[in-house]
Amino acid sequence: MRRAALVAAGLVAVASAAGAEPPVEPRRLALGAELSAAIGPEDRGFFNFTSYQDSAQRLARLSLTAEWHLAERVALLGEVRDENFARPRVYALYARVRPWRDRAFDVQAGLIPPVFGAFSRRRYGGDNPLIGYPLAYQYLTALRRDAVPGTASDLVRARGAGWRVHYSFGWGNDEPAPGLPLVNALRWDTGVGVHVGSGALEASAAVTQGTLSSPRVHDDNGGKQVSVRLAWKPVVGLVLGASAARGDYLSRDVVDSLPPERRGHDPQQAWGVDLEYSRDRWILRSEAIWSRWRTPMLERSLGALGVTAEGRFKVMPGLYAAGRLDHLGFTEIDAPAGRLTWDANVWRVEAGVGYTPMRHVLAKLAYQHNRRDGGRVRERALLTSQIVLWF
Amino acid sequence: MRPARLPLLALTVAAGAAAPRPAGAAAGSIRGRVEVMREPPAPVARPSIGELSMPSPRDLPNRRRSVVYLEAAPQGAFEEHEGRAVMDQRHETFVPYVLAITVGTTVEFTNTDRTYHNVFSLSKPRRFDLGRYAAGQSKSVRFDRPGVVRVFCEIHSHMSAFILVFNHRFFATTDADGRYHIDNVPPGAYTIVAWNDGEPREARTVRVPDDGGVVEQDFVVR
Repeated sequence: MRRAALVAAGLVAVASAAGAEPPVEPRRLALGAELSAAIGPEDRGFFNFTSYQDSAQRLARLSLTAEWHLAERVALLGEVRDENFARPRVYALYARVRPWRDRAFDVQAGLIPPVFGAFSRRRYGGDNPLIGYPLAYQYLTALRRDAVPGTASDLVRARGAGWRVHYSFGWGNDEPAPGLPLVNALRWDTGVGVHVGSGALEASAAVTQGTLSSPRVHDDNGGKQVSVRLAWKPVVGLVLGASAARGDYLSRDVVDSLPPERRGHDPQQAWGVDLEYSRDRWILRSEAIWSRWRTPMLERSLGALGVTAEGRFKVMPGLYAAGRLDHLGFTEIDAPAGRLTWDANVWRVEAGVGYTPMRHVLAKLAYQHNRRDGGRVRERALLTSQIVLWF
Repeated sequence: MRPARLPLLALTVAAGAAAPRPAGAAAGSIRGRVEVMREPPAPVARPSIGELSMPSPRDLPNRRRSVVYLEAAPQGAFEEHEGRAVMDQRHETFVPYVLAITVGTTVEFTNTDRTYHNVFSLSKPRRFDLGRYAAGQSKSVRFDRPGVVRVFCEIHSHMSAFILVFNHRFFATTDADGRYHIDNVPPGAYTIVAWNDGEPREARTVRVPDDGGVVEQDFVVR
C-alpha cells in the first residue's frame, strides 16, 4: 500500500512537470470497424495458435470499436470482436478520465489496454505489418493457470505441445487445455491504470485482476497484478520503453488442490524493454521480454525470454515490405532424461509485403518459417495472405 | 443546376471549348459568394482504443472553404505554370484543407507539429508517399496532371485534405466569408462550378459581356 502511494505520488509529480495540455473536443462519438481475413495452410505444428485455439494464419475477424466523449475530459471506449464466426466477445471496455484540465494525467478503468510492452496496444490490422504475432505475445507454452505439473518430467513431457497441455501427474484441472503465452496480446486485463506525461517522458502503471499471461475479468486467486512502464522519447521518431509486471497467475482452484505445504503465492514476474525508431520510409521495432513463473511443485522458477525485431520499408506509394525475426527460449531444468529446457525453444522468421490499393484496404502476403527443438512437428513453413478492410 | 459527378479531370481538360474571344473585346470578372448551408461532418479519428491517454488536441479543418472554377476554360487558356504552394500540417490538421493549383505547381508539405507526419496520396493524378518527417522539415511534390488529389497522413487517420489541380487559371478559392473572384475572363458563355468538400455541388451558366465588366454569381451549397 505504501509502495503504491509512493508510485502514485511520483506519477502526479511527473504529471505536473509535463505541463498543460488542452483536452480534445467534448461530446464526440467515433466509431470504427475492421474486417480482416487470413487464409493460410493448416499449421500442423500449432506454432500460430492463440489462447482462443485459433490459428493466426487462418483467422477471420470482425472488430467494432467506439470512443464516446461524454464530457470534455471523460470518454468511454470499447471493442467487440468476433473471430472465426464464434461468439462475439468484448475485448475492451473502459472509461478514460483526465481529472485535471492542465495536467497530462489520465486514469483508465475497466477492461483496459495493457501498460506492459508495446505490441499489445497495436490494435488495428494495419499496425501489424505482417500476419503472425511476435512469439512472446502469442506462442503457447507448456504452463497453465489451472493446472500445475507434479514433477519436472511431467512438465517436459509437454514440451512443444502448448496448444494442448496435459500433466499426467499434475494438480488441478486434468483436462488438456492450451498453455500460457508470455504475454497475451489477444486479451486485455481488467483493472485501473494511470498514465502521466505527454512529452519526452511518459509513465504508466496499472493494477489488474489477472496477469500478463492470463488477463482476466474476474479475479480467480485474490492476487492483483501490478505493472509499470516508462517510455522515453529523446527525439521525434525514437521511443525507448521499459516495463515490469508481477502478479499471481494460478487460479485458486488449483492452489486449493495442492498439499498445504505447497500453497502460497506463485507469481509471474516479467520485465521488458522495447524500442521503436521510425524515419522517412522506415520503421524499426524491437522488444525483449523476460518472464519468470514460480510453480508450487518445482523448486526452481521457470524462465522464458522472448526477443523480436521487425522492420517495415515503404517501397513505393501503397506498397511496403516487412520482416520479423523472433526467438523464444526457455530456462533449463533437471529431468530424468537429463538437463533440458522446460519447453522447446522456438525460432521464427517472417517476411512479407503489404499493398494498399485504396485507403481503407490493405492486402498482405507473408511467408513464415518456424523451427522448434522439441514436439511432434519441429518445423513448419507457411505462406499466408490476409485482407484488411477498415472504416 | 447540379453538376454531374464527373471527376475534375474531365472538367478541366476541356480547355478551348468556349467561343473564341472577339477582336477588341475586354476581359471581365466573375465574382460572388458560395454559401455553404450543409453542416459538413467533422472528421473523426479511429477510436483511440489502444492508447493510454487522451488524444492530443487538434484543430478542425475548414471544410466550408470552396473552389469555384470554369468547367470549360477559354481557348488558349492553358499555360504551363511553375508555381509553388504550401500545405502545412498543424495541430494534426492539413492547412489549408482545400488547395487549388495549376498543373506544374510544386506543393511544399511543411510540418509544424511536434510529432511525425507521413503525407501520402493514392489518387490517380498523383500517387506519392513522403515518408515520416519531423517538425520544421518540409517535403515537396510537383503536380503534373490535372485532377483531384486526396491527401492523407498515414499516422493520423483523421487528417485529410484535397488538392485540385487545374490545367487553366480560371478558378478561385473562397475566402473566410465565402467570397470568390475570377479575373481576366474573356467574353463568352461559361459553365461555372462550385466545388465543396469533395464534390462539385452546383453549376451555373454565366455570360461575360463583350465589353468585360463584372458578372455576379452566387451559389448555395446544401
